[in-house]
Amino acid sequence: MTDEIIVNKRGEAGMDMVQDTMEEFLAAADVRAVYGEPIQHDDTTIIPTAEVLSGLFFGIGSGGGAGTDEDSSKPMQGSAGGGGGGGRVLSRPVAVVVASPEGVRVEPVIDITKIALAGLTALGFMVGMMFRMSSRRRSLPEIEN
Amino acid sequence: MPLIERETKTGNSRQVGDYNLTPLTQVLKIQTPGHHARFIWNRPKAIVVKTPDGQEQVLPVIDVTRIAIWAMLAGGLLGAIAVRILFWNR
Repeated sequence: MTDEIIVNKRGEAGMDMVQDTMEEFLAAADVRAVYGEPIQHDDTTIIPTAEVLSGLFFGIGSGGGAGTDEDSSKPMQGSAGGGGGGGRVLSRPVAVVVASPEGVRVEPVIDITKIALAGLTALGFMVGMMFRMSSRRRSLPEIEN
Repeated sequence: MPLIERETKTGNSRQVGDYNLTPLTQVLKIQTPGHHARFIWNRPKAIVVKTPDGQEQVLPVIDVTRIAIWAMLAGGLLGAIAVRILFWNR
């Protein structure tokens, strides 16, 4: 009974720790994570912006058991607990805010490499479909009247 | 907290030169039942610019890279469907 209570307390403490981590994780994804610190250059101020993708997962478990030893026929008790988790934060620049005496404007950040990769994937998909359809036509038996 | 939550957050205003800039972000939060996993997508939405004469202007932050990638993939999918239809009728 006492061990069961200790196991439950350990489990609750573990859950509290995970909840605290989760709260810190959520707090990190606020406005300050997206808009960077302003960079001053002569009369112009540049504010970088980025999108932030973050994921966090965890699992925790604990348990206990009681039994008797065959040799000594003494009652035996045991308990164990464990947990694990992981997470990842991804950040990608989206645009820069340029503030100068002429005015404020938003300049996009264009990732040519990603666009080119997406274009090649799309082209590959189309060419693959073309080859698949042409090979299917060739493999069909001709019907003689 | 609901399973899927979408909200627009307003950051602290910054005085840059003569302009007062207020950043806006859009946050999408997804969590699984049981609170075992959480996913957050935080992206810039717009900048609210206040000029010294009191005019307010909203400048949207457009993610050109994301739009281009989705356009390319949609074009590839539509192209593949078009190729399939064209070859099917021959």
